[in-house]
Amino acid sequence: MRRFPKLAPLSLFSAAAVFIAACSGDAPPPQPTDTSPIPVSAAADVALKRLTRAQYTKAIQDVLGQAIAVPISLEPDDEVDGFFSVGSSEAGISALGVERYESAAYVVAEQAMVAGDTRDAIMPCKPNGIVDEGCAENFVGIVGRRLFRRPLDTDEVKRYATVANTSAQTLGDFHEGLGFALAGMLQSPHFLFRVELGSPNNAKQMPYGDYEMATRLAFFLWNTTPDDELLDAAERGELMAEEGLRIQVDRLLASERARAGVRNFFLERFNLYELDALVKDAELFTSMSADLGPDAREETLRTVEDLVFDRQADYRTLFTSGHTIINRRLAALYGVPAPALEGFGKTEFSASSPRAGLLGQLSVLALHAHSVSTSATLRGLFIRSTLLCQTVPAPPANVNTTLPEPSNAMPTLRDRIGEHLKSPSCAACHQLLDPIGLGLERFDGIGKFREQESGFDIDPSGDLDDVPFADARELGSLVAAHPDTVRCLVRHLYRYATSHYETAGEDSLLKELMARFEQDGFRIKPLLRHIALSEGFRFGSEAPTEAPEKEAN
Amino acid sequence: MSLKLNRRTLLRGAFGATAIGVALPALEVFLSEHGNAYADGSGFPVRFGWWFFGNGVHMDNWMPAGNGPTWELSPQLAPLAPVKEDITVVSGLKVYCENSVPHGSGPAGVLTGAPLGKAGENFASSALGAATIDQVVANAIGNDTRFRSLEIGVEDSHHSLSYVADGTSNTPETSPKALFERLFGMGFVAPGDEPIIDPKWALRRSVLDAVSEDATQLKKRLGYADKLRIDRHFDNIRALEKQIAKLEDDPPNLAACAKANAPLDAYPPDNDVPQMSAKHRAMADMMAMSLACDQTRVFSVMFSTPVNNVRYPGTSAGHHKLTHDELGEQPEVHGIVVQIIEELSYFLQAMKNVEEGDGTLLDHSAVLAFSDCSFGKSHAIDNYPLLVAGAADGALKKGVHYKSPAAENASKLGFTLLRAMGLPVTEFGAAEGLVTEGLSDIET
Repeated sequence: MRRFPKLAPLSLFSAAAVFIAACSGDAPPPQPTDTSPIPVSAAADVALKRLTRAQYTKAIQDVLGQAIAVPISLEPDDEVDGFFSVGSSEAGISALGVERYESAAYVVAEQAMVAGDTRDAIMPCKPNGIVDEGCAENFVGIVGRRLFRRPLDTDEVKRYATVANTSAQTLGDFHEGLGFALAGMLQSPHFLFRVELGSPNNAKQMPYGDYEMATRLAFFLWNTTPDDELLDAAERGELMAEEGLRIQVDRLLASERARAGVRNFFLERFNLYELDALVKDAELFTSMSADLGPDAREETLRTVEDLVFDRQADYRTLFTSGHTIINRRLAALYGVPAPALEGFGKTEFSASSPRAGLLGQLSVLALHAHSVSTSATLRGLFIRSTLLCQTVPAPPANVNTTLPEPSNAMPTLRDRIGEHLKSPSCAACHQLLDPIGLGLERFDGIGKFREQESGFDIDPSGDLDDVPFADARELGSLVAAHPDTVRCLVRHLYRYATSHYETAGEDSLLKELMARFEQDGFRIKPLLRHIALSEGFRFGSEAPTEAPEKEAN
Repeated sequence: MSLKLNRRTLLRGAFGATAIGVALPALEVFLSEHGNAYADGSGFPVRFGWWFFGNGVHMDNWMPAGNGPTWELSPQLAPLAPVKEDITVVSGLKVYCENSVPHGSGPAGVLTGAPLGKAGENFASSALGAATIDQVVANAIGNDTRFRSLEIGVEDSHHSLSYVADGTSNTPETSPKALFERLFGMGFVAPGDEPIIDPKWALRRSVLDAVSEDATQLKKRLGYADKLRIDRHFDNIRALEKQIAKLEDDPPNLAACAKANAPLDAYPPDNDVPQMSAKHRAMADMMAMSLACDQTRVFSVMFSTPVNNVRYPGTSAGHHKLTHDELGEQPEVHGIVVQIIEELSYFLQAMKNVEEGDGTLLDHSAVLAFSDCSFGKSHAIDNYPLLVAGAADGALKKGVHYKSPAAENASKLGFTLLRAMGLPVTEFGAAEGLVTEGLSDIET
């Protein structure tokens, strides 16, 4: 199993550090001090990456036209610890997947080839008759370069142009025939997979080629296929060189599309796609509606977008910030005035509000809870494993996980969950989780504030790694100040960027990324830049050609 | 739309110089006059499949009284009364491989006889480590049919337990509408009708040819792991080409084959309670007819997935949550298991209702029904709830309760099923799950 190396043992951290947020808020961002490319001691093995469903859809629309409706029934994404980007390095295509990609390809090709604006925008030529070999080759060459994210070789152009010609002949229509060539390219492994294999240089490294870099940059920073400008820079041979790469990284980061990239990173990191299928007992939670999950996701994604791009603020303030971006529905549930009549707007919480930062957001509170109740264990696990990157062992297979029912003797979850801590085998792990999660107990299973459970006051105090907190706000401050919080973000962002679990050969690179992140005031945009310029992102290692020895079970 | 051509017309050369290549089907088999066997003397095809549901059962309510041919249905098996004479309940077997992942190690033990290939933190992050028995069977008998195997799911989840190889699973179809289109949509021909050939089929095949050439070229540049991924993509492209080519064949002359009834467009949940029953029954009817039409001989049904938290009518919470949180004898969980077994019964009856010669489709099949653990609350994998329906064309006994005298290895059932399907296996499973013999008491 691939697992990242264990983090350094936790050191107790100073409660004084809790107040970092106050000094970094909206102050002008400090200038980055060091922007030199970070070296890697041993690059990770190369691997094909299958486009995620989101990438498939966006790539098609970017290449063929935004008006194209892309079918949603596609091969499902593989996730590895929540990250589709990491799963994409392992994902294959099943028999049903091949059928679905085929049928989607024809649905797309038909829309692209029906007379109209979409077709006019992608056709490089006007056909001279039902069969026009030159025009077909022209189309395959130009559109194929955008779909495969590299120029096609002459065999490939011929292969798909022949399909177009034969099909046009059979069907008696040039464009209908061309649609078959287009449908073919859309099913090719060169479109469905990102083929980034690198090639050896004189220094015995395996840098990714110019076009491979264009693909890596675009999917990392935009979560979609490269635009023409990026492919042109690759064609000019600029992306393997430091200066050319810098220019393009800065261009991509300055683009509005970088917002989609950052949103997708946090979507995967916090598993926010699960909010589509949020199941809550409607009788217990009367505010529950089908729109609530997607609204909550939007709140979190707008919050990170605002943090990374609009305010360019310290990442740690994500856990302490006194404002959020919500719509009327969420405002009603939070018990604050609606910021706008329609859509989302910024809301400041009062100084006495129990809610602050990410841990006060419905996405986190509702996702890490049961359908009928809260879960201090799941919420604690989210903080430990997703926010701090700490490994918590899974519960053993043969255990009774039932907690007692609420009763007068045990009215609140804190009373009942004590059962976990009575048994030594349960306590070993639950001691790591429950006392943190209990800090969020004043938010019910859907994230609504409450002061009591079963008529008894809820005590939201606890401790995080021996530093006590009084309530959820203080817990947020402790998470912000925890040294693992920033390390974890660096790890996750690097993992997301490169689609693999970081390897031992990347340890020193990650340490340096961490140092730069600190120098830059823990701002994410410069971190994206450091990663894109680093050797870990630019170099690969040759993958083994033989089957690995089976580990003994 | 497309130009439709009668196959015979096409063969007469109506397309002149631009004629599309149409492979004449090799009609080697015709049904005999009596309709009970093929003219060449071979019997009906023998089919294999499994029907899975998540979260286990309650052993006290599951275990039938009696043993051998004399036994009584238990409360949880009661819905199987209409097919009691067609099933064999196998109880007392144990999965001996380590129970490392709740809800994951059990199915791995039953379907591969081996431990999980990848033991993650939970079922979703784990993977089976070998081809599952359905795919082992498909390798042997799935190559002549339109679909090598069919995988369907009733719960809306892409998780499947059907693995073609280590870590590589088959995506199940979970939309009844899409399943209908796939099986009985464009190009389906009932026995006796002539296929209407769409010239686009040949073009689609030539497109897939081009795509597979891309895969062939790409493979040369890849390391071991990526090569396997592209190999599989390539194989599946070839399988799709064959599926399209099969549309041009005359359908097999199987009297029971007909177009299935079209399902509803959607089965939306009713107040968070999914329509598991209505959806399953629509899919079961299609699956039975697809088998009757010999579109496939191998199938798997994920009625629900391991750890699923599906809401059922008349219950207060999701299935998985109830298995852990409901107190006492767990009446709500019991009610859910009974509802699930009612669906299994429907599925088996749908197969039994298809007459094939002197017997039924179910007689010519072996269907394994099982869950991911025995008692959901504790994730136990001993005393495993297992059930076999159908006789595999006489290879298996039916209508008996086989109660293992000494917690035999659960892999023995997989061994027996593979043998019943005619595979000359001499061992099945790995590590603690490895066996070299089956359950002779349920074999004929």
